[in-house]
This record gives sequence, C-alpha cells and structure tokens, in this order.
Amino acid sequence: MQSKLSDAELIEQTLTGNQAAYAELVKRHQRFVFTLALRYAKVREDAEEIAQDCFIKAYRSLAAFKGQSKFSTWLYSIVYTTAMTSLRKKRVDTESIDDENNFIQIENQASAYDVNSAENRSRSFYLEQAIAQLLPDDAAIITLFYKGEQSLEEIAQAMGMETNTVKVKLFRARQRLKERLERNLKHEVKELI
Amino acid sequence: MNNLEEKLWNYIDGNCTPEEQNAISSLIEKDAVVGAKYRELLSLHSAFAQMDLEEPPMAFTYNVMEAIRTENAQVPLKAAVNKRIIRGIAIFFTITIATLLVLVFASVKWPAQGLPVSLTAHFKMPDINSSQTKVIVQAFVFFDVMLGLYLFDAYLRRKRDAKDTKML
Repeated sequence: MQSKLSDAELIEQTLTGNQAAYAELVKRHQRFVFTLALRYAKVREDAEEIAQDCFIKAYRSLAAFKGQSKFSTWLYSIVYTTAMTSLRKKRVDTESIDDENNFIQIENQASAYDVNSAENRSRSFYLEQAIAQLLPDDAAIITLFYKGEQSLEEIAQAMGMETNTVKVKLFRARQRLKERLERNLKHEVKELI
Repeated sequence: MNNLEEKLWNYIDGNCTPEEQNAISSLIEKDAVVGAKYRELLSLHSAFAQMDLEEPPMAFTYNVMEAIRTENAQVPLKAAVNKRIIRGIAIFFTITIATLLVLVFASVKWPAQGLPVSLTAHFKMPDINSSQTKVIVQAFVFFDVMLGLYLFDAYLRRKRDAKDTKML
C-alpha cells in the first residue's frame, strides 16, 4: 500500500511521526544512495556507514526539506557532503585514472579476476571495474546521470557545482570510461560496444 | 575529434538546439565516419544506462531505523521531561523553603538592642592576606575562568552544529 505513495506523501507521514513511512523511503532509495557512497568510499563497509549516516541526517533534517527540489536531489546532496567529509577524515586515496600506478593496480586486478570463472566477464562487471577507477566526483556524476534520473542542473545542485562544470566533467568521465574499457578489454570491448 | 564527440554526446543526451539537432542528424546520415562514431557512442550510452546498482546489506533498512529509534530514545530523556513537572518541583521547594524560613523567623525572639554576636574562641575568620589563601583564591578564579571558557566553547560548537544541520 505504502509503496504506491509518492516521496512527498511519505515525507508528510514521517513528519507526523510515522516511522514506517520513513523506512519505506529508505527502502526506496537505499540502493542508489549505497552505490553513490561506494563511488566515494570504494570499500563496502565504509560505503554502508556513509549511506546509513545520510539517512539518519536526512531524517533529522526532514522538517527543513521544503520540497523545492526532488527529495532524491536533496538526499544526494547529503550523500555528497557526508561522503566528502568521510573522505577528508579517512584520507582515502583518490588517485586519478590517469595515474600510472593506478594502471598497474588495474592490470593486477584484471589478471586476478581472469583466474575466476568466465561469469565475471559480464558487461556490468567490466563497466563497474572501469567506473571504480574514475575520480570519485566523475564516478558519482556518471551514476547520478544514468541511474539517478537527475538532470545536469539537479546534479549541479546536489554537488554544489556549476551546471557547465558538471557537463564538462560528465563528458570527460565518459571519455575516460571509454578509453579505460578499450584499454582493459581489447577483445571484450567489441562485445560491449 | 573531441569537438565532434562532444556534439554527438549532446545530441544523444538531447541537449542540442533544434537547429543543431537537424545539422547533426544529416551529418550522421551523410558521413559514414560520423555515423560509425555516433553508433559507437550510442552503444556506450545504453551500456552506461544498463549498469547495475549495488545492493546494500539485507539488514540495511533495519539498521537505519534502529539507529533512528536509538537516537530518538536518547533525546526524550532530555526533551520529553515535561517542563511543567520541573516547574512544579521548583515551586514546591521554593514554597517549602520560604515556609520554613517564615516559621524560623517567626519563632525567634528578637532582643530589643540588636543581636549579641559572640563567636566561640576556636572559630577563626579566614585571613585573606595570607599567601596560602591567596593561592587558593587564585586557583578558584582560574578554575572558574577555565570552566567558563569551556562552557562558552561548547555553546559555540552546539550553535555551529545546529547551523550545519539547518543548511542540509
């Protein structure tokens, strides 16, 4: 019954004290929030902590949400600030895809996976692997654009950037992904493209 | 080349003006190289759109709600205590103390010429000029100042945190 309610209706119910409505909101957005957190944290445990923090912060500030933007856009802005704070705290290594050392790491990673069964050689596996090697901001922009149903303006709002900056970053991220896929999957890329 | 790719991505994303859209459409049809590039980018575009989202642990929603419930359960200890109860207790003690004072003063028989104050021989008033007392007074003042600064810092931190939460 509750799954048919819109985000705005669930928020309204949550504000009247219905915690089940908020649980429904969490269920609805958890996969995306977790994926987005993983783009920054790279480690599942850290991503889980960030995602959990985001939902708790969102719950605390829910009354301040005026509905001027989509709930998802507002939530992603919380993910972004929480992830950035977490990155600063933990000083996670955020090497660029252009970093030579990083390429070595990728090569090793790929060869390690080669030992595994062929089922790992799926389209999404290689794509995920390439996305994981992008800069956190680029990976987040790609994810927000393709899976978050967010426009460039909404991504800019969530990440506190100019729309044009987001547009340029998206273009570069797609270029880098393409190059990465071509470099890593000399043969498999033909299957992918 | 990059410029062409940028235009093609804009075309795929639907961020072109109608004029640009027409121009790129005809270029894709007429130029085989551009057409091939377009199909390549379009395949990538659909591959990106089909990427899977990560699945959080099964207990994720439960953990979030449990954390919220725990947080809510802690807050009411401060917030849920009814202010009326506190005021009631304060009024009760104030009235009790006032009544006791009134009773005590009413039962005292006041002499006509003031109170005969005579301290016992063993009682000594503290000597505020002695060096030992000075040190104690200075330590007391120092402790008060430090406590004041600590409380002021805590107040400013709370204020900043409240502002940050509001900004979110």
